Amino acid sequence: MLRGTWAILEKELRVEIRTKEILVTAGLFGLLVTVLTSLAFFLDDATARRLAPGVLWVGASFAGVLAMGRSWAREREADAIRGLLLAPVPRAAIYLGKMLGTWVFVMAIDFVLLPVVAILFRVELGEELLSAAVILVLGMTGYVAMGTLFAAMSVRTRARDLMLSVVLFPLSSPGLVAGVVATREVLGGAPLGETLEWLRILLAFDLVAIVSGLVLFEPLMSD
Amino acid sequence: MVFDRVEVKGLVKVYGATRALGGVDATFRAGQVTVIEGPNGSGKSTLLNILAQLVRPSRGEVRYGDTGVRRGSELRSAIGILAHAAMTYPDLSARENLALFARLYEIEHAAKVIDGLVERFEIGRWGERPARTYSRGQLQRLALARALMHSPQLLLLDEPSTGLDVRGVERLVVTVEAERERGAIVVLITHDPELAERLADSVLPLDRGKVAPS
Ligand SMILES: Nc1ncnc2c1ncn2[C@@H]1O[C@H](COP(=O)(O)OP(=O)(O)OP(=O)(O)O)[C@@H](O)[C@H]1O
Ligand SMILES: [Mg+2]
Repeated sequence: MLRGTWAILEKELRVEIRTKEILVTAGLFGLLVTVLTSLAFFLDDATARRLAPGVLWVGASFAGVLAMGRSWAREREADAIRGLLLAPVPRAAIYLGKMLGTWVFVMAIDFVLLPVVAILFRVELGEELLSAAVILVLGMTGYVAMGTLFAAMSVRTRARDLMLSVVLFPLSSPGLVAGVVATREVLGGAPLGETLEWLRILLAFDLVAIVSGLVLFEPLMSD
Repeated sequence: MVFDRVEVKGLVKVYGATRALGGVDATFRAGQVTVIEGPNGSGKSTLLNILAQLVRPSRGEVRYGDTGVRRGSELRSAIGILAHAAMTYPDLSARENLALFARLYEIEHAAKVIDGLVERFEIGRWGERPARTYSRGQLQRLALARALMHSPQLLLLDEPSTGLDVRGVERLVVTVEAERERGAIVVLITHDPELAERLADSVLPLDRGKVAPS
């Protein structure tokens, strides 16, 4: 199982290093969202700071959904996905490989977005930012896990990108809401320890997302 | 996994209002090349995709060997298919594509196997470029190498001579004969009467989703 996952993950990274397509398109899109909102909502420093969590999460989730869509568009080209589904690896291994690949890309993008948002919205570059990073990683992990499952299904449906956004945003809203609220608290000066309730929700969200991905990928991909 | 025949019984495949297959019975045997013939849209590719487990039949069954329905990884490792699309990654080179699938099929001595395929299908310097840049025939040769690399017991070839030059077709004939010799069950779709003539041990004529009386 893990050998298949590793082979697929390596393929994802190799293709991305060669084309840089996902990092560039999704990354730029995320940056655009954050810069535009900073221009649109710029007030005083204190207000800016309160907007930062929302902008960060909107940018991260938009970039994420774009990355997932592109990752599966690659599988559709030349019908490579059928080659994967035919290979004697467990379907869950395919899911995991694709998910981990997207996770790496999304994390790379998010670690650019985070300092950019911090600078644009006058957040101090200190411990708060590290806490925000932990929360972002937790939230985006479940988001990517869930998104990979639905993006994979988009290989089969016609209204691909639309369907991905329409299904993914509502289903991942517990994770996104918990993430935004926890980020707001730590940027407001609360230590990470005080957001434990939210972190727990995020962990549960990750777990549910990953397990449902592993379990549901097989039935959803075979027609 | 070794099985000496594949049988299909009462195979029906319906796509919306289209009846691609309307009850097909057939047997494909080891060490034989079965050629499926028929006009465009007669259901040949549909039948092949069902044999490959890429498409699930609406009704009827496929039996691999004597035991009942076999499924899962073990069965998949015994199937090789060349379909209409190449089923490879356009951003990877021929060698990288083959190396990826060698890992997924857990092929031993993968480097040697890939060298053998590169030689057999004369994948030259162009094989270092991304597959996106290949000519039609070059891509077809890569797809063939991919389908054959794990020596599948059931080899399914959908119009394998598409895009191949004279030399490529000769190589294809030699390859298919070698696979038959090895004891593979070969199912081949072609619109080329000469190729069919040269390779067919038996012929399955399809017409509008049914086996035509020959
Ligand atoms: N996914 C699909 N949705 C709807 N109809 C389909 C689908 N796939 C195939 N068909 C229809 O089923 C019929 C059989 O198609 P199939 O591809 O099996 O034909 P074929 O014999 O391989 O033809 P060709 O010689 O042109 O390759 C056709 O009428 C085709 O339009
Ligand atoms: Mg066809």
